[in-house]
Amino acid sequence: MNTIEANSVVMKKLLIFTVVMFVFGFALVPFYEKICEVTGLNNLLQADTLAENPQVDTTRLVTVELDANIRGLPWQFKPLQSSLRVHPGELVEVMYEVRNNSDREINGQAIPSYSPQLLAKHLKKLECFCFSKQVLKPNETRRMPVQFVIESGLPTDVNTVTISYTFFELAGATAATSTPKGTQG
Amino acid sequence: MAAVHDHDVAHAHDHHPSGMMRWMMTTNHKDIGTMYLWFSFIMFLTGGVMALTIRAELFQPGLQIVNPEFFNQLTTMHGLIMIFGAIMPAFVGFANWQIPMMIGAPDMAFARMNNWSFWLLPPAALLLLSSFFVPGGAPAGGWTIYPPLSVQMGMGMDMAIFAIHIMGASSIMGSINIITTILNMRAPGMTLMKMPMFVWTWLITAYLLVLVMPVLAGAVTMLLTDRNFGTNFFNAAGGGDPVMFQHIFWFFGHPEVYIMILPAFGIVSEVIPTFARKPLFGYSSMVYATASIAILSCIVWAHHMFTAGMPVTGQLFFMYATMLIAVPTGVKVFNWTATMWRGSMTFETPMLFAIGFIFLFTLGGFSGVVCAIVPIDIQVQDTYYVIAHFHYVLVSGALFGIFSGAYYWLPKWTGHMYDETLGKWHFWLTMIFFNLTFFVQHFLGLAGMPRRIPDYALQFADFNMISSIGAFGFGLSQLLFLYIVLKCIRGGAKAPAKTWEGGKTLEWTLPSPAPYHTFETPPVVR
Amino acid sequence: MESNPRKATFWQIAKAVSWAFFGVRKKSDLDMDASMLTPKQVIIGGVVGALIFVMSLILLVKLVTN
Repeated sequence: MNTIEANSVVMKKLLIFTVVMFVFGFALVPFYEKICEVTGLNNLLQADTLAENPQVDTTRLVTVELDANIRGLPWQFKPLQSSLRVHPGELVEVMYEVRNNSDREINGQAIPSYSPQLLAKHLKKLECFCFSKQVLKPNETRRMPVQFVIESGLPTDVNTVTISYTFFELAGATAATSTPKGTQG
Repeated sequence: MAAVHDHDVAHAHDHHPSGMMRWMMTTNHKDIGTMYLWFSFIMFLTGGVMALTIRAELFQPGLQIVNPEFFNQLTTMHGLIMIFGAIMPAFVGFANWQIPMMIGAPDMAFARMNNWSFWLLPPAALLLLSSFFVPGGAPAGGWTIYPPLSVQMGMGMDMAIFAIHIMGASSIMGSINIITTILNMRAPGMTLMKMPMFVWTWLITAYLLVLVMPVLAGAVTMLLTDRNFGTNFFNAAGGGDPVMFQHIFWFFGHPEVYIMILPAFGIVSEVIPTFARKPLFGYSSMVYATASIAILSCIVWAHHMFTAGMPVTGQLFFMYATMLIAVPTGVKVFNWTATMWRGSMTFETPMLFAIGFIFLFTLGGFSGVVCAIVPIDIQVQDTYYVIAHFHYVLVSGALFGIFSGAYYWLPKWTGHMYDETLGKWHFWLTMIFFNLTFFVQHFLGLAGMPRRIPDYALQFADFNMISSIGAFGFGLSQLLFLYIVLKCIRGGAKAPAKTWEGGKTLEWTLPSPAPYHTFETPPVVR
Repeated sequence: MESNPRKATFWQIAKAVSWAFFGVRKKSDLDMDASMLTPKQVIIGGVVGALIFVMSLILLVKLVTN
């Protein structure tokens, strides 16, 4: 019958459309990551670049508090100094120390967090252990540097900032197989 | 829209299995519509009991009735059940009953699939509800199932994910059916622009459903693989991003709120002209506005996540887009009001619910515009102000629309008039207790009471007590509705074919109750 | 509209779509739309209209934030 044929044509089109939208849902994942990358949001795993000749603002001192946390893995993790005072624009290096207390090899990934939130805009990290995963052998201890500049554009009412890192275990990972997925949106 | 139909009542082939098997095997759109409506009413009571438990706990500060974990399960399940179990199936039930009768088609386009799409729902609902009894309990991270909570939860979450998959498949099949029926099976002479408004709104709703339901299916599938197969879509520790879930979820979620309100717009657009005895003011505007709302609803999703972390350009974009969506919605409200203007109005129960709908939905719309303003939203995010807002949209919007439609078409479905006095009682009780429950929640929200908590500070005590009293009144009033419906099914004054003097659509040309098979010979629409 | 080079029709789609976004349409115009526009034209017009709408909002946002 004519209607039946016409109906099944419409149904086929709609089914294809449904499948396309299902795939679209998954396509949103790389799309989202691309948008975050293009707009420069949330690029946690890449080093920043500095402006040509950064101006050091020697008239100002900002207190930088360093914080370290672990989530769900048998490590010890701490900064070697808990706070320091820096001039905006000045290149600083701080050291963190991490120790694997267990007798197995573990992959960890550090995720940074800043307080106040707007520090994220003005903090340029040239080197950081958080740019890649850290693989620690049983009972291994490692000292890791972070090099950063707090730009002089930091609002003048901000006098104390906190840089915090949290180590997560990379799920299901043995050292050989897993790598972080790169820049994440 | 007068129609000529010749309907022979005595169908030789009118024998169908009796008892339980009739309902299991039926492919008749009216049977399936009835099952959808009963299913949704049962789910409405189930979700309602959860809501009342929540309100009982919040009657006083402190923990009295449930523990916090169970409280969170209740809020989550209340949302999921009401949205996927009550509101959406109710509208599909209306579509099943009414669309073939309103466009002069003998049945839905795919009758067998129609049966299937209904019978997916009860197992899905059972799966969802039985998550209460597994270790770790039901999902407790809110109906939006945001990671990381939804990734960390027990197996109740997996059950909920599967239930959402099944219910989503059911709605997609239902939508395909509805679209095909509307596009291909209209009576001769019924052009698209002559279709009743209810049919139009459902056509657009069905398109929205096939547009966004698969995206939700994708999102929960990612959750499932994150939970069980070691993928890292949303797992921050593995390089994923929980905020991405929020984007994908609300890409589904915002059109979803229009999926739940557009069919109610359609019902109200049928009821108001009937009881104002005037054609719908600006029919074409209504069609265009509905389409416009549907398109715009796809580009405003991130207003649900202003506080999730977003550049100010993003906030402004979504704020402007959200405020602009109020324009076509406002056009609709003006059109309904203009339809009533100088009409010879009577106030039967369907009309009361329709007017209640316009009044309260407009309030909910306004608080929506308030929430759209970024600085205010940051203040009221996750407070009772938002709860009040979306209950004004979903209860006095979608649910009042459903009640209005139920009273409007009950005589056609059952062949009996419902008890008008009791119907009015139902409306006024519902109206008063609804506002008692939810209006004060605006104040609670503005004062800073957060949502999804079982306990609260003392200064919120009075309003919470009022709200809880209102909630129990509201819940009990719905038992009156059950009584009215049962009474109407069992007997009552005989309803004439044209139950309402002002009814102009095709279903009023059929006898009441509508025979098992209708429009086997298509009517001709002038 | 690409497939149809006549200028009048293009403007008609544009007009129909922009009125649709506002949500208001005169009955006489609607009858004209209904008789002259095909669903395909309306859908393409609607999607293009939505894109233009999004673009203009982005432009407005850029203007405001700069």
